[in-house]
Amino acid sequence: MALHVSVPLTTDRAAAPAPEQPVVAELAGVSRAFDGRGVLFDIDLQIHRGEFVALLGRSGSGKSTLLRILARLDADFTGTLTGPQLPSVAFQDSRLLPWRRVLANITLGLRGTDSLTHARELLAEVGLADHERAWPKTLSGGEAQRAALARALARKPELLLMDEPFGALDALTRIRMHQLVRRLCDRYRPGVLLVTHDVDEAILLADRVIVLTEGRFSLDQRIDLPHSGRRHLPEFVQLRGRLLSELGVVDDDQ
Amino acid sequence: MAATQANPDVAVKPDQALTPGVDDRLRTPRAKRANRWGLGRLIGPLLVLIAWAAVTWGGLVDSSVLPSPSEVGAAAGRLLAAGTLQQHLLISLSRAMIGLGIGVVAGTGLALVAGLFRWGENLVDANMQMARAMPILALVPLAIVWLGIGEEVKIFLVALGVTFPMYLNTHAAIRAVDARYLDLGRTLGLSRLELIRTVVLPGALPGFFTGLRFAASVCWLVLVVSEQINASSGIGYLMTQARGISATDVIVVGLIVYALLGLLSDTLVRFLEGKALAWRSTFQYR
Repeated sequence: MALHVSVPLTTDRAAAPAPEQPVVAELAGVSRAFDGRGVLFDIDLQIHRGEFVALLGRSGSGKSTLLRILARLDADFTGTLTGPQLPSVAFQDSRLLPWRRVLANITLGLRGTDSLTHARELLAEVGLADHERAWPKTLSGGEAQRAALARALARKPELLLMDEPFGALDALTRIRMHQLVRRLCDRYRPGVLLVTHDVDEAILLADRVIVLTEGRFSLDQRIDLPHSGRRHLPEFVQLRGRLLSELGVVDDDQ
Repeated sequence: MAATQANPDVAVKPDQALTPGVDDRLRTPRAKRANRWGLGRLIGPLLVLIAWAAVTWGGLVDSSVLPSPSEVGAAAGRLLAAGTLQQHLLISLSRAMIGLGIGVVAGTGLALVAGLFRWGENLVDANMQMARAMPILALVPLAIVWLGIGEEVKIFLVALGVTFPMYLNTHAAIRAVDARYLDLGRTLGLSRLELIRTVVLPGALPGFFTGLRFAASVCWLVLVVSEQINASSGIGYLMTQARGISATDVIVVGLIVYALLGLLSDTLVRFLEGKALAWRSTFQYR
């Protein structure tokens, strides 16, 4: 893979060339209002299999609302949503049921005879094979998030939604989680929507970054850079400045 | 009579256990370690016992007002040897357990109906919230008219007294189950029944146990009173009978038996709670 792929920093909203993969989720003309106050306006979005989309936005920009609509936790929107009935969701808090042991949390709602084996595999993959029988409250924040990730992926999802899943973790744990998420997504190839307000995280992980500003997409940018060593490319810095200014922050590093 | 109504503050926060004294979590690890032996807890009661012995043996208080520890011990020995104490204890115990059983089932059942169904909430909750304001013992005259003075009335009163703390605490706990867990359950594709089984009921279990602890103390309270008003058997009857012949030693024996029963039932509930809520205690006491 070429190391220096030029990043066309255009502003047109539909700039992203569609990958050669089927669409796993699609929003068309989706709007959402709470008590007459608009939060999302006429959103169009397609997520393809294996595509990692990061959704950036300031607090109150409507990004969590968008995720809840895709997660089918919010049905009071207008427009159409096409996609899996049960996308997997990783929340900001790990949301493990405290009264079920770790393994029982992973298998919760799973059907089929091989579900237990599969759950065990995933636990091993996130490095928690020894914690099958542990109560969730004995886990550290990073361990709990890893268990939550295993739970999300154990469903073999076509669409994985992540709502700031690393927000509450310390910096070192977050770096390890980034690597883990990237590895797991490369392996299981779900379509991913990661909601975050961390610009670096978005650029590091995603194939495509979308900025949501006051309920509308103000930027939709593909990132055709290799994942390893991305942080050190000049395009990273360039895109970072661009996204920060889109979010209304002046980047002093530039 | 405040004890028959569950404290709403406790009901709202089932996590805050009804531990008397200082919350264990506030203690330093060293103090916690010392407390584990429980010996420190005995100092207070021991001092009371010494003071009791001192005033009665010293002749400060006449033994017809307050008998000395040894007199009470002798009375207990007499009652035990004659088999009277065991006989009445067994009767009281069975009344309390039957009443408790009925009340726990009724209170929990009503809480489930009110907590899980909208129609149940409308039908049950307003009535229960109104009825809880009524002191249970005010019902004694009416209960006697309805049920006579046999076993039914005592069991009825105990069951009724137990129903309210069970209902209030369990219902509040069901209502307070974290909506985030329900969201999670939906994203996992759980059916309504599965949500209730895996999220709502386990989440409400701490509240159920808070109610059970209240219930265990309420059941003795109601039983004491109903056994003293109209009975021909039971510990309360034994005490009322003793009052007639001014046998204060027997009255004190009855008091101690009630105290021990209360202590025993509380310990039992705590034990069950510790077993059922192991997921929580590993966090609290680690």
